[in-house]
Amino acid sequence: MSQQIPLTWFLYFAAASFSIGLMGVLMRRNAIGVLMAIEIMLNAANVNFVAFWRYGPTPASEGPISGVMMALFVVTVAAAEVAVGVGLILLCYRRWRAADVDELDSLSG
Amino acid sequence: MIQALFIALSAFGLLMALGTVFARNLVNAALFLVAFFFVIACQFVLLEAEFMAAIQVLIYIGAVTVILMFGIMLTRNIQGDETTTVSKRWRLLGLGAFGTVCTVLVLGINAYQPWTDLAVRPEFPVTKDSTTPRGQAILSMTPTVGREMMTRYVVAFELAGLLLTAALVGAVVLAQHDSTDIVNAKAEKPGTEPAVTGS
Amino acid sequence: MSPFDMTMTPETNLMLAQSIYYDKVDLWLWIRWGLYLFAGFFGVFPLIVAYIVLAERKLAARFQDRIGPNRVGPFGLLQPFADFIKLIIKESIVPKGANGFVHLLAPMLTLISAFLVLAVIPFGVGLAPVDLPSGVLYMVSVSSIAALSIFLAGWSSRNKYSLLGAMRGVAQLVSYEIPQVMSILPVILWAGSLSMVSIVQAQQYDQGWFIFSPPGILGFVLLLIASIAEVNRAPFDLPEAESEIIAGFHTEYSGMRFGLFFLGEYLNVFAVCCLTTTLFLGGGSLPFQSYFAGRAEHMLAAPFDASKDQILKLNAHHEFPLNPGSGFRIEITNEAGRSEAFQVSHRTGNDLYLLANRPVDFQAGANARVTAAARPDFASPWHFSNLIMIPVFFAKVFFLIFVMFWIRATLPRMRADRLMAFAWKTMVPLAIANIFLGAIWYEIVIRPAGGYGHKLVGWAVTGPLTLAAIALVFRINRNSYQANDPERRPTLISRTGESLLAATTQGQ
Repeated sequence: MSQQIPLTWFLYFAAASFSIGLMGVLMRRNAIGVLMAIEIMLNAANVNFVAFWRYGPTPASEGPISGVMMALFVVTVAAAEVAVGVGLILLCYRRWRAADVDELDSLSG
Repeated sequence: MIQALFIALSAFGLLMALGTVFARNLVNAALFLVAFFFVIACQFVLLEAEFMAAIQVLIYIGAVTVILMFGIMLTRNIQGDETTTVSKRWRLLGLGAFGTVCTVLVLGINAYQPWTDLAVRPEFPVTKDSTTPRGQAILSMTPTVGREMMTRYVVAFELAGLLLTAALVGAVVLAQHDSTDIVNAKAEKPGTEPAVTGS
Repeated sequence: MSPFDMTMTPETNLMLAQSIYYDKVDLWLWIRWGLYLFAGFFGVFPLIVAYIVLAERKLAARFQDRIGPNRVGPFGLLQPFADFIKLIIKESIVPKGANGFVHLLAPMLTLISAFLVLAVIPFGVGLAPVDLPSGVLYMVSVSSIAALSIFLAGWSSRNKYSLLGAMRGVAQLVSYEIPQVMSILPVILWAGSLSMVSIVQAQQYDQGWFIFSPPGILGFVLLLIASIAEVNRAPFDLPEAESEIIAGFHTEYSGMRFGLFFLGEYLNVFAVCCLTTTLFLGGGSLPFQSYFAGRAEHMLAAPFDASKDQILKLNAHHEFPLNPGSGFRIEITNEAGRSEAFQVSHRTGNDLYLLANRPVDFQAGANARVTAAARPDFASPWHFSNLIMIPVFFAKVFFLIFVMFWIRATLPRMRADRLMAFAWKTMVPLAIANIFLGAIWYEIVIRPAGGYGHKLVGWAVTGPLTLAAIALVFRINRNSYQANDPERRPTLISRTGESLLAATTQGQ
């Protein structure tokens, strides 16, 4: 590889993806759409973790693959979150007949 | 050449993310999301973390997308048409948030000298005879991940296991078909059967 | 240094990288990849798949006491071409409201997944298209895409029955992926590597076929059953059941699109049979080849210095008879009589570098006796042993495919809930138990001296344990079997809810 990819390019991509995900969270009405946008945000953060691990000096006390481990745990937790989230959405759908986040606005009943 | 590859890949990835956010049809949005996950896996390969790329495909494309598709399918609107619109009220707010956050992040990244310095310096050369722990870890990441999980990150590993067990049990409990489920409380009059659930 | 030492500084860290090869990207590589692409993609695999389809039809016919297609060529050998022409000239009807792009994408994803699985399988010496160091992980990731394709097929057809078939299909695929992956774990433990080529080499030169051990037999059976479920073959073919929900998720596919699904399904069958052969049957190797792999007993006393470098460096003062290079296994016995086997990383001059991927118990400067188990080190596909290995590999693969056809012709289809219960309640516990049994086998047989030691002890210990695990799992599940549950036993019930059997006995 004669030319290397600068670190900041990975960070720009992650920042842009994160912003797009944030826009999706705010704009989407369907709960599943919101979940998808959250996944975009989490993946952008993962890219950040791995990019910083690859490029930067990491403390030796954290081991040789600290960034990758963090990204791995993020993937784990995100998968668990999607599972529980979809279960909750299904319950809300059964209750309210719609998966619209704008209508889920009361805490009782 | 690799810079051109990265630019093309990132542009494609951002387009897919935009497609996920703006697609009317939810299944199309999920397909855009699959493409975005795949682009992220390619980014991991560019960062020499192929283990993470494989895990990304396995878990995100293989499992999370399936859960999302199930969710889409089981919560369809009555007409069967899964179009959703972007509410006008939030459109401006969303665009504003996007612009603000993106600008702040990009300016911040640009201004931080250590990171832009890392831009100029090339990456660690990782060759076959690398003897640093990090170089060897990159060459054989899967055994390293296993070893680190069991020694340095064992507490996090056990907690993640507990979390996954809790999520599993919780999802099973949530998804149980409750016979006392009432779909629409307003439609129920005393003495009649409760309305049949749609799912 | 204790094995559980948590402070890993470069000096004490003796655990190490595998040596992976980076292929040189030159003309020879492009030619090889081009040949694989053309020969494999356009030639070999479609031909193999076409004739597997014909073989299935003729075998199913023989099982049913009839002959099968024999009109088109001699013994019906040109039947696949007739089928191909028929599928091409048929009109591809796409439902009006269907999402056209997704409708086409779904069978393509199945095909892509099958081809990607086939990309890491070693068909012979030097004949693995890509030898990834983490081939098994890659293969597992890629085979999980197939679930998505079934869902897309069912969804894009806008047909309730398709959707139902797709839902059941995805649930089945996702459920059976877990025993499929967990049954591969003992194999990875025994071979010590995720690379498919290393797994085949471990069976070929070190340990014999992995199936020749109780956890291996259990793992093989689990992998086979899970693979049959993964490719939607009978008795797990409820998603595409022809007599129940029309054709399940590929109801609305006709013409060449159906042809693509058909091709994809049989290619998947071929791919999982190749996978099972590679992992458990030592793909390409003869059954007891490891006993004849040429153990050159060469006693060599060499001092080695384990503290300086991160790689075990062995000063080979004497020439080894077979010139060990990377890929050889060297067994070192220290003065206390404890021996361990290590793999050679590379050799520069007189210095032999060994890979120690676990903590090493030898003192620096100690004299060690080295007995080299010779394993040839080549990666060229023109090796003469390919003449034997390729036919043997394909013989095993076709035998497994025959077993799949046999099972299809024999067993009735499983009902959806019993299918899921079988996966989660029977196969997952057995797969977890198999991991433990595999670890026990590893500690008894493989760890001490490189695969030859104490196999009888291993059988004696793990055999009864395997049988006990299977018995335990079936005993725990006995209350959920429908035949044992008097309340759920099928009986005749009239519309008003009274049992017709009771009515008939009362009427006598």
